[in-house]
Amino acid sequence: MSDLELMVLTILVGILTPFAIGLLIGIDRKITARMQNRVGPPVLQPYYDLIKLFGKERRAMNSSQTVFAIACMFLQLAAFVLLVTGGDLLVVFFVSSTGSFSLALGAFSAHSPFSYFGAQRELLQILAYEPIVFMVIVAIGFRERTFLAGSVAHDLLFVLPLALIALLPVLVIKMEKSPYDIATAHTELISGPYVEYSGTYLAITKIAHWFDLAILFGIMTLFFWDQNIWISIGIKLLIILAFFFTAIVIDNTTARLTRNRMVKFTLAFGLALTAGNMLILFLADQGVFRWP
Amino acid sequence: MALMENMRVRSPWILHFDTGSCNGCDLEVWALLTPKYDVERFGMVNKANPKHADILLLTGPVTKKSEDRLMTLYNQTPGPKVVVACGNCATNGVPFFDCYNVEGGIDRVIPVDVYVPGCACRPEAIIDGVVLAISKWKEKVAAEVPISASEAGPKEEQETVEAPEAKP
Repeated sequence: MSDLELMVLTILVGILTPFAIGLLIGIDRKITARMQNRVGPPVLQPYYDLIKLFGKERRAMNSSQTVFAIACMFLQLAAFVLLVTGGDLLVVFFVSSTGSFSLALGAFSAHSPFSYFGAQRELLQILAYEPIVFMVIVAIGFRERTFLAGSVAHDLLFVLPLALIALLPVLVIKMEKSPYDIATAHTELISGPYVEYSGTYLAITKIAHWFDLAILFGIMTLFFWDQNIWISIGIKLLIILAFFFTAIVIDNTTARLTRNRMVKFTLAFGLALTAGNMLILFLADQGVFRWP
Repeated sequence: MALMENMRVRSPWILHFDTGSCNGCDLEVWALLTPKYDVERFGMVNKANPKHADILLLTGPVTKKSEDRLMTLYNQTPGPKVVVACGNCATNGVPFFDCYNVEGGIDRVIPVDVYVPGCACRPEAIIDGVVLAISKWKEKVAAEVPISASEAGPKEEQETVEAPEAKP
């Protein structure tokens, strides 16, 4: 495959991924409805929601709220573009988490108790999942001796399986799914950090959320690499779908836990898995035992 | 643009507010969200937040205490929006007519688009009302001046609401 074809493919992936994430969320709502013995909304429902929100009357609490929403979207977009074009994973991580922080800041800028609670809990969620994502990136860097996403050219699936599994609670948190939908808790906080956004600005935060998910899925796809680009893409998609479906099953079989348990569990589980995997890798490098 | 208009009315988000109901109609509104009636197949989600809502499902007679809150919720909902009064009390406040602490039906406070009668109103009737409300909403969406062109439309609407002569 020539460089030009690869470039075209990169651009295609970059443009199509956000749309694919919207479709994934639609599929998620359909599967969830079927699991609850309901018919459920059409698969394209997230797009209908988005188009409707852009058509609503434009209202904001204050100007800083809108600035933070737009900043959140552009930071996530920048991180996503950086990841797709094979940039530095650490920079992707930092830019993306700045985006998450600006969502919390936007929620803090509105003087509403629900928004405040949502923002506090959003920060707590960031505390729970960011160290794991960071450690996973460090593990990839430890194995590949580079942090450039474009230079990760080995099959990591069998070398770093524990680090990949550690991303599951992160996905559950980022998809705002049941045991850990702490910030957007719809039964008590309505929608947490999004509560004071309406219309167009809510749509902007939604798009930012889609890009945020795309970045996490992008990091997951780094775990598989093959000479043949089509096999590579196929297995990458399979990894994404497997994680996505597991998150839906977890969502439908669990109730929401408290925020303390979220922080304790995700940090202990995620850090133990990634650190353990790196230790195994280190010992294997020293020749203590063989590791694929 | 007809396609766009059709897509825009496919996600009516609900705000349910009880202005002083006996909870009979509230239970029927909640029944809509259960697997038996499953209104999410129309894209309807109970958002419980006026800032995200498009359709206001209101139950109960407006008590003097809830009047201001109802007005606030209505004003916080960004347009285009539709109001559905569910149940006899919400339509004209019947059993509480002339009661010292009750203002009357929902339309004494805010403009109502669809009235769903019944004590309590059946979930099927509410679904009928909501389908009617969606067609009303479609008209409002189509009549709406594009937001980028003018922001006068929603403001006028609010002025008529806040006018004191709306209350007889």
